[in-house]
Amino acid sequence: MTQSSNSQTSEYHVASLIASCILAQVDEVKAAILAVDDTEIHVTSAEGKIVFTIEGTSHKDIGKKMDILRVHTGILNLSPVYHQVLDESVDDDATKQ
Amino acid sequence: MSINRREFIKANAVAAAAAVAGVSVPAIASNLITSSDITKLKWDKAPCRFCGTGCSVNVGVMDGKVVATHGDIKSPVNKGLNCVKGYFLSKIMYGKDRLTTPLLRMTNGKYDKEGEFTPISWDQAFDIMAEKAKAALKKDGPEAVGMFGSGQWTVQEGYAAVKLYKAGFRSNNIDPNARHCMASAVGGFMRTFGIDEPMGCYDDLEAADAFVLWGSNMAEMHPILWTRLTDRRLSAPHVKVAVLSTFEHRSFDLADNGMIFTPQTDLAILNYIAHYIISTGRVNKDFVNKHTNFRLGETDIGYGLRPEHPLEQKAKNNGKSKGSSTPIDFDEYAHFVSTYTVEYTAKLSGVPEHKLEALAELYADPKIKVTSFWTMGFNQHTRGVWANNLVYNIHLLTGKISTPGNSPFSLTGQPSACGTAREVGTFSHRLPADMVVTNPKHRAIAEKIWDLPEGTIPAKPGYHAVLQNRMLKDGKLNFYWVQCNNNMQAAANINEEAYPGYRNPKNFIVVSDPYPTVTAQAADLILPTAMWVEKEGVYGNAERRTQSWYQMVTAPTGAKSDMWQLVEFSKRFNIEDVWPEELIAKKPDVRGKTLFDVLYKDCDVGKYSLDEIPDDRLNDESRHFGFYIQKGLFEEYASFGRGHAHDLAPYDRYHKERGLRWPVVNGKETKWRFKEGSDPYVKPGSGWDFYGHKDGRAIIFALPYEPPAESPDDEYDLWLSTGRVLEHWHSGSMTQRVPELYKAMPDALVYMHPDDAKSRGMRRGDLVKLISRRGEVQTRVETRGRNKPPVGLVYMPWFDASRLVNKVTLDATDPLSKQTDYKKCAIKMVKV
Amino acid sequence: MKDLKLVSIAGLMALLSTLFLAPILTSFTVHAAEKVEKAEKNTLATLRNHTEIMTQKKPNRMPKVINNDIKQVRNYPMQPPVIPHTIRSYEVNKNNNKCMSCHSRHRTEESQAPMVSVTHYMNRDGNFLAEISPRRYFCNQCHVAQLDAKPLVENTFIDMHSLMKQKTANTTEH
Repeated sequence: MTQSSNSQTSEYHVASLIASCILAQVDEVKAAILAVDDTEIHVTSAEGKIVFTIEGTSHKDIGKKMDILRVHTGILNLSPVYHQVLDESVDDDATKQ
Repeated sequence: MSINRREFIKANAVAAAAAVAGVSVPAIASNLITSSDITKLKWDKAPCRFCGTGCSVNVGVMDGKVVATHGDIKSPVNKGLNCVKGYFLSKIMYGKDRLTTPLLRMTNGKYDKEGEFTPISWDQAFDIMAEKAKAALKKDGPEAVGMFGSGQWTVQEGYAAVKLYKAGFRSNNIDPNARHCMASAVGGFMRTFGIDEPMGCYDDLEAADAFVLWGSNMAEMHPILWTRLTDRRLSAPHVKVAVLSTFEHRSFDLADNGMIFTPQTDLAILNYIAHYIISTGRVNKDFVNKHTNFRLGETDIGYGLRPEHPLEQKAKNNGKSKGSSTPIDFDEYAHFVSTYTVEYTAKLSGVPEHKLEALAELYADPKIKVTSFWTMGFNQHTRGVWANNLVYNIHLLTGKISTPGNSPFSLTGQPSACGTAREVGTFSHRLPADMVVTNPKHRAIAEKIWDLPEGTIPAKPGYHAVLQNRMLKDGKLNFYWVQCNNNMQAAANINEEAYPGYRNPKNFIVVSDPYPTVTAQAADLILPTAMWVEKEGVYGNAERRTQSWYQMVTAPTGAKSDMWQLVEFSKRFNIEDVWPEELIAKKPDVRGKTLFDVLYKDCDVGKYSLDEIPDDRLNDESRHFGFYIQKGLFEEYASFGRGHAHDLAPYDRYHKERGLRWPVVNGKETKWRFKEGSDPYVKPGSGWDFYGHKDGRAIIFALPYEPPAESPDDEYDLWLSTGRVLEHWHSGSMTQRVPELYKAMPDALVYMHPDDAKSRGMRRGDLVKLISRRGEVQTRVETRGRNKPPVGLVYMPWFDASRLVNKVTLDATDPLSKQTDYKKCAIKMVKV
Repeated sequence: MKDLKLVSIAGLMALLSTLFLAPILTSFTVHAAEKVEKAEKNTLATLRNHTEIMTQKKPNRMPKVINNDIKQVRNYPMQPPVIPHTIRSYEVNKNNNKCMSCHSRHRTEESQAPMVSVTHYMNRDGNFLAEISPRRYFCNQCHVAQLDAKPLVENTFIDMHSLMKQKTANTTEH
């Protein structure tokens, strides 16, 4: 789930977003979100707000995945809330050898 | 770790977005799950799986998995504490290489001693086992079948095994690995007191003014008792601690008087103390007159090696000795020990005179309450029974016994060395409740309780542990079943005895274990085994405390408990397969029945219904057999000891208690035996009553110092001692599979003095060979670890399956107890 | 060692030609695995690393103590934390306790080391003492440093947190 599909780089990115949707199309939007790699839906409110995360290996990777969704007609507004990068190149190597 | 860190920041991300959206965070993304349905753990008590201390732990179960363990706050033994092993109990069942199917050496679908391990069904496994056992019984009779069991068996498992072998197969060739661990202690108790196991209890730890450790590294081997000792020493400044060993170890960290002695000279030091007590006029004459006898023991008894060994040829009483002795009086005894002067003893032992005097004074001073502790240093000793006898001497001369804080205390290595090996009597010469097969009255009692015809139990003691390996090698013991221990890693001198024995084409070797151990690798058939809280059971610890636990999780599919294996296997034998016609004729109603019917179902074992097991409790074995078998085995076993100073409480009560110390009389446990007021078996008005002997007196033995079997010489110029470490127990078969314990102590190194290393051109970390007359092992040098041996001695622990130090050790035993001396043999070391 | 070799060979090949890397690497690994099985029959004792009982593999080098001061997650709340630093020449004896010179309550501000848990101030009867309880005096009975050694066998223990996550995942919509 949290494993990135592309593990070439040593960075781990996670972004959380809110998609505000047309109520009638919530299910359609959810399917579209899950169609994108490394996404996860965490909660959907009664008013049609979907809280989800995108994981990736670079800023560009996250951006590309967002772009796929941005154009969806069921989404009124897509707002990124939080983005954090974990540099794993110094990940406790000592314990992993 | 990276996954957890990722989850952590992801949870933060979700929380932030959810807050902005004005929705509540779902539990999955929250840092904190508070729903009690989900966070609920089911807690239950169990004794720890490791040492003889017998700590109680609480085991947390979620979704059929053990997820946490911690020290049981309600347990009087450990009061909420555990050692590092105990804290990691949760992980011992989850090594990835758990065995889940029987494995048989096969070629082209058929059993072949030289074939490859191939998965088979339990049915096929029992088929080949029954075939091999029946063939051995038919060809050479009951002496051709045998079993090596364990002080890690539950009481019920040990009892089921004894019954199967001694009554069913009519073979006394059953012995536990406690033979390597406790046999000398048993011998000492039986000889001095006529009844086994310590008179004192752990409450002595809070009452004593002085502690003396004789060949016991409690800091590593009994850590929780060590915490109690430390607590006492540091909170009561007048308390003194003396530590004796052949090398310096962690217990010396607390020592007021630390003493390194030359191996084997502990015998002389003990006699010196007796001499000191007598010569300074501090014998408790009243006690000695009323409660003791003096005897002179037989000497020059050999070293328990094969009879053709030169040392045995030379010994006057080799092989013949039954530990006989002749009565003497106090004066004769005083004269006997008078040769052990401080000068002589200091010279022999290498311990300075003032240290010896300070030690002796702890015992001699009537105002000091003194507790002696010992474990393998005394027991794994070619004169182990003597060493036990000699320490009782000094407690008896001063009357420092059976009262709080005055306690000669033999500690045990395995969790149920006392409960199972000793009390149940899984030794080749024993029956339950201290009875022996050589005594016709004892056999008659057992036959009556077991409802067997007279003459069922053979009178001749069977092969003990070391003899079993020799008899396997000689082709005399042909069907052999090993349960719950790892003897190919434990037994001494496997190069010459054990390994050739297991691989002898005449023999069929079965090994039951949860994991593929060294012993399993040497077997012909491996049976996957359920462990610890995957079954219900009872253990008995070193202070006579009997503790029970319920099954808490199911075993991995395919793995079955030792008890299930024994009892299910018994269904494969009709009574006609194992008993001669004249025996059956004495009890014709057994005709046509199986051993399962006779030994387990149609007797007291089978009389407790499944209704007695609460519905929400797991109990895979009982539900398989159709009756509450753990209760049946326990209750029938308990009937041996009730009314005979070994009383156990009703089974159900143990599920409610944090253990009880036997004898449990009128519902009350016994803390100090042999003392009026605390032991209900003591005759009123006697003060003390050593009722194990008919005259109520304990025996003070005159026994000398005799040299060890093998000492360093010009070629093999070093002493080798082996032993355990804090982090690993039971050969490391469980603990080496716990990553934290493995990483704390991954490899068995050889600990040596820096000068010894230097004089051999070795440095810390160098690859070296330890070579004895029997074999060799490679490891690396440690010159600054936790053990600091003196010049001339090295220490290498035996927990490491990849570095088998038992290829080097000597299979000399105490001729009385048959226990191996793992603490001294001669080796040389070379750089590789 | 075997693993290491594989990686370095693979790395070399990657330099030569990325195109052929995948197939070559795969066939190489399979071949190596087969070889192991045939050469060493019936060597199932996992802790012996595929070695027959009467032989011995060359003992590995002595691993070093992990000394990175990075806290390791505990398997469950009651687990004593492992020591993430070397404790060489730390004296803990009846006169001295070096561990407490950083981990005792009044030293943690200077040392920034974690304070020992409050349970360590309780005596056998559960009463609090002003100083660390003597029954907890020898830290090394529960707390152990970790060496840089790779466990011989994986452990499949699942901690309660992961189990709870699985449960909540099954009960929440997705």
